[in-house]
Amino acid sequence: MRLRGITKRYGAVVACDGVDLTLERGEIHGLLGENGAGKSTLMRILLGLETQDSGAIDRDGRAVTIAGPREAAALGISMVHQHFSLVDPLTVWENVALGRSGPVRRAAERAGVRAAAQRYGLAIDPDARVGTLSAGERQRVELLKCLRRDPTVLIMDEPTSVLTRSESAELFTVLRRVVAAEHRAVVLISHKLAEITTATDRVTVMRAGRVVLRRATTATTEAELAREMVGREVTLGAAVGVLPHATAPASPAASAQTALRLRGLTARPGLDDLCLTVHAGEIVGLYGAEGNGQKSLGDVLSGLTVPDAGTVEVAGASVDLRRPGALSAAGLGIVPEDRHHAGVVLDLSVAENLVMTRLGDVSGRVFIDRRRLRRRARALADEYGITAASLDSPLRDLSGGNQQRVVLARELSGRPRVLVAAQPSRGLDVGAVEDLYARLRRCASDGIAVLLISTELEEILALTTRIATIFRGRIVGELPTAQADGERLALLTGGVA
Amino acid sequence: MTRAGPWVSAAIVTAALVLPGLLIAVTGGSPSAALRALIQGSLGDATAVSQTLLYAAPLLLVAVGACCSARSGVFNIGQEGQVLIGALAGAAAGLRLAVPGPALLLVVLLAAALAAGAWAWLSALMNRLRGVDIAVSTLLMTFLAQQVVAFAVTTPWLLQESRLGEAAALPQSNKLPSGALLGSLGDHPGLQLNLGLAVGVVVAMLVAVALDRTRWGFRLTVAGLNPAAARHAGIPVAAVGGIALAVSGALAGMAGAVLLASPLSTNRLQPDISIDIGWDGLLVALVARNRPLLTIPVAGLFAVLRAGGNFLAATGVPPYLVDVVKALLTLAFVAPAVMRRRSVVA
Repeated sequence: MRLRGITKRYGAVVACDGVDLTLERGEIHGLLGENGAGKSTLMRILLGLETQDSGAIDRDGRAVTIAGPREAAALGISMVHQHFSLVDPLTVWENVALGRSGPVRRAAERAGVRAAAQRYGLAIDPDARVGTLSAGERQRVELLKCLRRDPTVLIMDEPTSVLTRSESAELFTVLRRVVAAEHRAVVLISHKLAEITTATDRVTVMRAGRVVLRRATTATTEAELAREMVGREVTLGAAVGVLPHATAPASPAASAQTALRLRGLTARPGLDDLCLTVHAGEIVGLYGAEGNGQKSLGDVLSGLTVPDAGTVEVAGASVDLRRPGALSAAGLGIVPEDRHHAGVVLDLSVAENLVMTRLGDVSGRVFIDRRRLRRRARALADEYGITAASLDSPLRDLSGGNQQRVVLARELSGRPRVLVAAQPSRGLDVGAVEDLYARLRRCASDGIAVLLISTELEEILALTTRIATIFRGRIVGELPTAQADGERLALLTGGVA
Repeated sequence: MTRAGPWVSAAIVTAALVLPGLLIAVTGGSPSAALRALIQGSLGDATAVSQTLLYAAPLLLVAVGACCSARSGVFNIGQEGQVLIGALAGAAAGLRLAVPGPALLLVVLLAAALAAGAWAWLSALMNRLRGVDIAVSTLLMTFLAQQVVAFAVTTPWLLQESRLGEAAALPQSNKLPSGALLGSLGDHPGLQLNLGLAVGVVVAMLVAVALDRTRWGFRLTVAGLNPAAARHAGIPVAAVGGIALAVSGALAGMAGAVLLASPLSTNRLQPDISIDIGWDGLLVALVARNRPLLTIPVAGLFAVLRAGGNFLAATGVPPYLVDVVKALLTLAFVAPAVMRRRSVVA
């Protein structure tokens, strides 16, 4: 399989810029890159889910066009997605048989699954219900499902993000068998450097839509890969056009108080004895690859889930996490990762969303004072530059950037001591991001402790004074931003440290 | 997508009106005669109008309650049973408590509301403790309520009527004392304006204000629209939903008391006293899209269908055609919303 000069644009954003990629039979090819580097877009093109703007795809030397998923399947391209697409109440063999046309013969299917499982060394019971299986076993079912379709090219997207170390090792043994004995090509997409260096034959590193490194795996090192993945310049912070240039990160007051302390937070799945402290007036970045517990932490700090163990202290006082709204009352504001889920109510008006958490300020004991509500909403909208046709129109009508401003305005209107921003720039356009960064900095200089949870390294480096890295629900490293460089961080977040 | 809504509605409303006509024609009746009978029986004269207004009152109460629970994201479909429990508690209070004069009426209404509210709240409790689906449990509790009422009116030491001489006692309670009955408002020749309707309208307005203007209503609405955001904003979603469910049950129970105390019944508790008002009231709320003030005209419309439907049988048309019209009308108003939701998912 050969991809040549693949280019794909989304509006002004170039997701893939003249990408060449050659996949040989009998090889495991590592594809490495940060979020948004263009890996997924490339794979979506290969799977027929997107069409490239320019460039060509060859298979065994003949040009092919992949118009849709069906053509991709006919060409023998198959993918195991990061998020499993299995039906829990069905058995293993039923899941494997799912999606194929023609009559289903129970005995033949079960025998087929058993034979394939044996051939690849994937221990699995064809009659087990998928819902009862562990993540590692589910991964095997996904893999079997793909292999039963006899693919030429097998794409694995972040396959180990949910696996334990030994499960990962086992998976790589199977993949090795698949390429060696059956001459298939495997693409392994990953953030984790150790994985790439041990499991692959060749590696391609992408950054900002371009291929920046293409080499045999034995001829490279983890350090080199890390450097190429994030780019040398990133330590300067303002490397990427997105950032407002070179504003010095806020420096914390010398004798800053501890505003937020997380102690031994454990929530399954997701958090494993996580400890972290944030002082008043500083911005701490929590950096890590997607899916290492950031979402669980966000849910705990939004008051959506109660952790199995551990405490959250705001300004020295422990917060009773079982009481709804306790965190907000204690002085913790949060810009949640998925604002449509927990941040806003799309069908309520902009004004109502702005006062939602502090209803007491605009109402008497029983009745809401509409005039006060509107006045307060107007003031907040002006202060935070929220542009809306009318504050009475539903929040649904606002742009993503304005919705985000509504959340930020509301959370800051309670004069919190701590602000948690989870992936705050996701889905915003450049202008909105710039505005957001300025506001986060102002928060810190006003003495608010800011915890920035992000997978964007540039963002972390540009805004924070201290960086903690998260891996499998734990803090695995902590260092002042001044001492951080892309290489060290990539090593830390890859779980090497 | 949103454009399609009104057109779909208009098409289905037309179908709701045309289809029954076709059905009548097919079964050999006369559509125009049937329509005349329907209107004659519900709006034709003062007696007919009185009857329609009598039906409107309990429908309205049930529907307003359904608005409350639906707005909080809790789907109560057990109003029929809650109506029965309300009637039971109302009868018990009216027959057993020695409260003088018209104060007894107030006691009957309150007892009905309290009992049915608690009855509905049991479903919230089951949901809290065991995760039982609320729609399912409220529905099943209806059948339980039917058994409880049937038991009460066949058991002499509970509510079965006292025996007079040698006559066998029927499965019903004694007649409520006159102090517990809903009277007429003012004196109009031939027309009866039952107090029950006034209760219903006042409650509808109170609930409308409560939902749109109070903190309680705001919190309830947020919990219904986005439970996660509500929790984050410090709203105890489950408790708010439980209270909304209890209010919904209480109003259905009050409808039961209104049925018991108005001329719609014999003023005795009977197993069939609820006459499907619980089910119809739920439809009223659906058609009114959970807006309490809109339930007032919609309850009127459903009352017209009910009163006129009783009269329809006289023209030789099967009265259950009225049920077909009700069902189609409900579909007409509910289908576009459902279709919109589907297209969002897709």
